[in-house]
Amino acid sequence: MKKLNLLILLVVLIALWGILSYNNFVRANKAVDNQWAQVENQYQRRLSLIPNLVNTVKGGSKQELAFAKEVTDARAAFAAASTVDAKASAASNLETSLGRLIAVIEANPAIATVPLYQDLSAELAGTENRIAVERGRYNDNVTQINIAVRTFPSNIIAKTFGFQERTLFKAETGAEKTPEVNF
Amino acid sequence: MFVNNKKNFIATLLGAVILLTASQVFAYTKPGNPTGFVNDFAGIFSAEQKQSLETKLSAYEKQSTNEVSVVTVKNLDGDYIENYAVKLFKDFGIGKKDKNNGLLLLIALEDREMRIEIGYGLEGELTDAQSASIIRNVLTPAFQKSDYYGGVNEATDLIIKKLSGEQVNIPVSKQKVNINFNLIFFLFFFVFSFLSSVLAKSKSWWAGGIVGALCGGLFGLFLGSWIYSLVMALLFTPIGLLFDYIVSKNYKKGQRTGVYPWWIGGGRSGGSGSGFGGFGGGFSGGGGSSGRW
Repeated sequence: MKKLNLLILLVVLIALWGILSYNNFVRANKAVDNQWAQVENQYQRRLSLIPNLVNTVKGGSKQELAFAKEVTDARAAFAAASTVDAKASAASNLETSLGRLIAVIEANPAIATVPLYQDLSAELAGTENRIAVERGRYNDNVTQINIAVRTFPSNIIAKTFGFQERTLFKAETGAEKTPEVNF
Repeated sequence: MFVNNKKNFIATLLGAVILLTASQVFAYTKPGNPTGFVNDFAGIFSAEQKQSLETKLSAYEKQSTNEVSVVTVKNLDGDYIENYAVKLFKDFGIGKKDKNNGLLLLIALEDREMRIEIGYGLEGELTDAQSASIIRNVLTPAFQKSDYYGGVNEATDLIIKKLSGEQVNIPVSKQKVNINFNLIFFLFFFVFSFLSSVLAKSKSWWAGGIVGALCGGLFGLFLGSWIYSLVMALLFTPIGLLFDYIVSKNYKKGQRTGVYPWWIGGGRSGGSGSGFGGFGGGFSGGGGSSGRW
């Protein structure tokens, strides 16, 4: 009789653990979704700054215009991307062309010293940093899920209820390290 | 264990015993505990200068609830200042938790770098361009003359003005009660010593278990679910029994030797004296601006 009681207690405890673990997976997945929304917010912020940046080279040299067009195209491509993975890769394309455009602008004192451009560049640097921060947090959240999916004993719950690993955001090496947009 | 909530919950549980939730290993290492709105780890202000900044920032917090903090460190240990600032911000928890209305002015002396980091809630009040302009036009020239106090004083004046500009006298309605850690520890010690002396003197061996179960149950209910409550009660029962056992044993020893442990005889006197009640637990998302001098 005593043994039976002990067994019941054990089953109850395991069931409780299972519920907690399941809820944790649900919550963690929600946290990752929220964090991705934060990343997208900051992308949006970057998108709305780009036209201003492009405007600063209006009537500039051929090279400046070419780079500006590249940025505009990359921006359009990013806006058209729909899946998370597509967005991520479009975003890194956009970063590359942004970097080039900024480099030529920086080389041109006629633009680089204008207060309006200085403000814009501060906003851009801030945006790039925000993106880096939010992406970092997104990756932290994803890593926590992925560890739980893979490690014992939470992997049992993950398998039973089909919780899967989430994709990490793979930043370009160095891109994670905040603004190369350092003026 | 991977959701913040859960982490907090566990930290509270074990916090008094051990800090198990070791923060992940980053390049960033905490420079120390915040002792006020001004934390001069690099030692660039005199005592009076620090006091005057502290008075200003603390008065501003009382009036607006915005937490503006100045932190100076010797160096960044090779980290990027942007990374360091966002980690420190969250670590200290600058800004009220529900508003994230904090602002950090971080100065790394040896690296000659500085950053204004803005909590989510103030991003609209002080734009990155405005932060950059404060760094460029106020802090940089002052720091180049090694006039750290002058620069910081003027910069904080400007920051406060900017922050006040758009939010004239926010009504102090429905201020969420901020958890005061001094109070928690005071209560903890008070309850701890009270329970110890009662349980130690009581003859029963089971009282501790019941107290443990009750504590656990209540604690679980606080966390909002009966499951927690049940689990906590189960968890706390043996802890309570053990607690009773230990204090009773010590008490008996005390009776024998005449030397009683410190927890017999009531609460300890608490209270810190300084007016700083800790930051509110806010965090930032990388907004702001950096500069060098």
